[in-house]
Amino acid sequence: MTDSAGVVIIGGGVNGTGIAYHLAKKGYTDVIVLEKSYICSGASGRNGGGIRQQWSTKENIKLAIESTRMFEELQKELDTDLEFKQGGYLVLAFTEEEVEQFKKNVSIQNEMGLDSKFINPEEAKELVPELNISKVKGATFNETDGTIYPFKVVHGYAKAIKEMGIDVREHTEVLDIEKNGDEITAVKTNKGTIKTDTVVNAAGGWSKKVAEMLQVDLPNKPYRHEIMVTEPYAPFLDPMVISFHHGIYFSQSEHGNIVGGIGNPNETEGIEQRASLWFLKTMAKTLVEFVPRFKGMNMLRQWAGLYDTTPDAQPVLGPVPEVKRFYQVNGFSGHGFMVSPVVDKVTAELILGETPSMDISDLSITRFEDMDIEKEYSVVG
Amino acid sequence: MPDNRIKEHPVLDFDRGKEIYFEFEGKKIKAYERETIASALYANGIHQFTESKKMHRPRGFFCAIGKCSSCIMKVNGIPHVRTCITPVEEGMKVERHSAQPEIPEIEPEPYPEPEEKEVEIAVVGGGPAGLSAAIVAAEFGGDVHLFDEGDSLGGQLVKQTHQFFGSHKAEAGTRGIDIGTDLLEKAKEMGVKIHHNATVLGYYPEMTLTVDAGGKLEIYHVKGIVYATGAIENYLAFENNDLPGIYGAGGVQTLMNEQGIIPGRKVLMVGSGNVGLIVSYQLLQAGVDVVEVVEAMPHIGGYQVHASKIRRAGVPINTRHTIVKAKGDYEVESAIIQELDEDWNPVPGTEREIECDIICIAVGLQPDNHFLRQAGCDIEFVRELGGFVPIRNKDMETTVEGIFVAGDAAGIEEATVAVLEGRLAGAAIIQRLYGTSEDTQKEKEKAREGIEQMRKGPYGQMPRRGVKVCTIDEEVC
Ligand SMILES: Cc1cc2nc3c(=O)[nH]c(=O)nc-3n(C[C@H](O)[C@H](O)[C@H](O)COP(=O)(O)OP(=O)(O)OC[C@H]3O[C@@H](n4cnc5c(N)ncnc54)[C@H](O)[C@@H]3O)c2cc1C
Ligand code: FES
Repeated sequence: MTDSAGVVIIGGGVNGTGIAYHLAKKGYTDVIVLEKSYICSGASGRNGGGIRQQWSTKENIKLAIESTRMFEELQKELDTDLEFKQGGYLVLAFTEEEVEQFKKNVSIQNEMGLDSKFINPEEAKELVPELNISKVKGATFNETDGTIYPFKVVHGYAKAIKEMGIDVREHTEVLDIEKNGDEITAVKTNKGTIKTDTVVNAAGGWSKKVAEMLQVDLPNKPYRHEIMVTEPYAPFLDPMVISFHHGIYFSQSEHGNIVGGIGNPNETEGIEQRASLWFLKTMAKTLVEFVPRFKGMNMLRQWAGLYDTTPDAQPVLGPVPEVKRFYQVNGFSGHGFMVSPVVDKVTAELILGETPSMDISDLSITRFEDMDIEKEYSVVG
Repeated sequence: MPDNRIKEHPVLDFDRGKEIYFEFEGKKIKAYERETIASALYANGIHQFTESKKMHRPRGFFCAIGKCSSCIMKVNGIPHVRTCITPVEEGMKVERHSAQPEIPEIEPEPYPEPEEKEVEIAVVGGGPAGLSAAIVAAEFGGDVHLFDEGDSLGGQLVKQTHQFFGSHKAEAGTRGIDIGTDLLEKAKEMGVKIHHNATVLGYYPEMTLTVDAGGKLEIYHVKGIVYATGAIENYLAFENNDLPGIYGAGGVQTLMNEQGIIPGRKVLMVGSGNVGLIVSYQLLQAGVDVVEVVEAMPHIGGYQVHASKIRRAGVPINTRHTIVKAKGDYEVESAIIQELDEDWNPVPGTEREIECDIICIAVGLQPDNHFLRQAGCDIEFVRELGGFVPIRNKDMETTVEGIFVAGDAAGIEEATVAVLEGRLAGAAIIQRLYGTSEDTQKEKEKAREGIEQMRKGPYGQMPRRGVKVCTIDEEVC
């Protein structure tokens, strides 16, 4: 069977479905979304749902501010409760260098219109009374940051795009992409070939593999990142608490569960999504160091997903020089959910040849040819 | 307070142990030392254990074997305790808690390093399959540790008061309960180290298990695993299906045949497979009225002999009928059943209200094998085996070398096959660790022959087809 589509999107995560959603909203529905497993099976169904605008580079701040605003709207558009809880993000500093960097971050953030502030450890304790601040040197706080329930966003998109007439195919894996010169001609899947000239690579941790099908070399590397959820408890933690120093983050969901993760500095590159004992032990210990009262909690589940990381910890977006109409929406380096609304909207605009509502050309793959790229420092895990 | 303990039973003697007292929300309650918290409460007429998260609807127990979290309560200050598998103790304090309880204050050292141990073979699950695997592996010289989250072992077998009449000679004519007890005795005799109240929490690469041993984390590094955790009961979607009084057939069996407590007075049985029919008969034996059996299929699902027995006792079996609604504010007071047409749609106007206080759901089981998915074993959906099952070779080894599966966790069949699969896996794991021998090979062949035999009967057709699609034609050695 051969069929065809104006646009083929590879990946049924928040970005794949989100781009389809923005295309459909503009009236363009000649789109097929391909997902090798099920919707939300990638990082989009495995993340912490953190929405943070406190970043160190202008690009990320800009993307995150606009996206946060769009998430608020999305709730109304999709007419579902996305459990978007704006309890703020409390970013803890544990070294003098962090204090310096955080102060710089806040001034850039303020310059960009964000209301974040630098606070001292005692003020941090007022926000989270149970917090152990003995080693905390300072913190930043922004009250419009928060958490969202990822499944509801992605399934909300998926339902909406299907209703608007977009073809979503689960358990359909892209095996190869064919081209003629620098023009894409077709996408080959395990369930047949689809003729198309436009492909979006929103394959998360598998993006590098997908780009290789067209001999495009992405600098992205997949790394496992682990996360856990506890049993539900009475609400007592408003903000998401994070520390870049420890690579840890944790928040309390609407249901009362603590959700959090910690990065393993010895993690090796590769597609590995099994849970580790290292995580179980380290997460439990570190959580209790942060909030001693946590010692009475039980962990319910742990799991892992992939961070699709780039050398500067910023995403790869937009077209590539080698192949026409091959759009990248990947390399999110562990923060792709929170910036997805604006990224997906702008990608849809680029595909349709419209003037993008935000300039994201700085995040094109060509930046890596340049040697002095600006690295994002505020990366957790 | 009422006492719902069975005083006399035609087949069973209940050895409940010493009389003890515990506290439930400030009230002193009588119990016996071999009871679980949930059954002691139930015996005293307390049926609501928890509430739903969002709507705060009352919830009772459902599975009674630790698999559904429907019975979680606060025990001695610790919330989220599965009371259906936690033995009651003198002076214990038990309370209901909201969906979001306070984090408990625990005093002792926050982080005693978990104990790490190296052992050879871990068997997970102490039902017929697990016990059999442990016995055989120990017979062949293996250092075997068996983990079960219950207080007592024997799995579903110890609830079976009826006689087995599988074609396998050994067990025909024996009551399940006796087979279970015998297996347990044999395992102890063979030197199997048995860990009660020990929940295996997860699998970590490579070959590491975490175990919740009565609130303490233990870590086991092993060389091989036989996974035999049985099955989870299927549920049905209908209005008010979460009211206390709606229980799984296995849950009813546990309460009634293991703990000696009658679930209620009047039961509507949903499902006429062997489980539904046998449990109906067991209810009658315990002096409980079975008002009606409804079956969605156009014919009775289980053996004729079982159906005839309950029909003779005057229980109507209505095929092409299903339950559409349960009624009651805090507990079941009645049920609405309805006829189904050829396309399984309810026929308007055929609704009938049935007065009952228990709705027993006997609509089949699905294999419990989450752990194997975590371990990365290849899993396939096989309808004939009840759902998702691991791909295995002829020796019950999964696609992860050294991890074996047996019994209902490998596919829903029945106890004799579970025993034989356990024996097969027990011999094969020894071969995996130490190489083949004439004796282990013989044991494997004998077990496989027995399984073949079992699957030749009329009710063996389904699993026979099922295992075909998920078995790789290879052996360990
Ligand atoms: C543990 C963890 C915690 C995180 N916490 C946060 C957080 O708090 N906040 C935040 O903003 N971000 C967080 N992230 C990052 C965020 O989850 C990701 O950046 C984001 O979900 C990426 O979405 P995506 O749609 O681009 O990719 P994915 O969700 O990974 O989707 C890609 C999809 O493509 C499919 N696919 C791959 N190859 C093929 C093929 N050949 N054919 C067909 N389909 C294919 C995959 O199956 C997958 O479903 C976290 C990530 C992890 C792992
Ligand atoms: S876990 Fe206790 S009733 Fe299911």
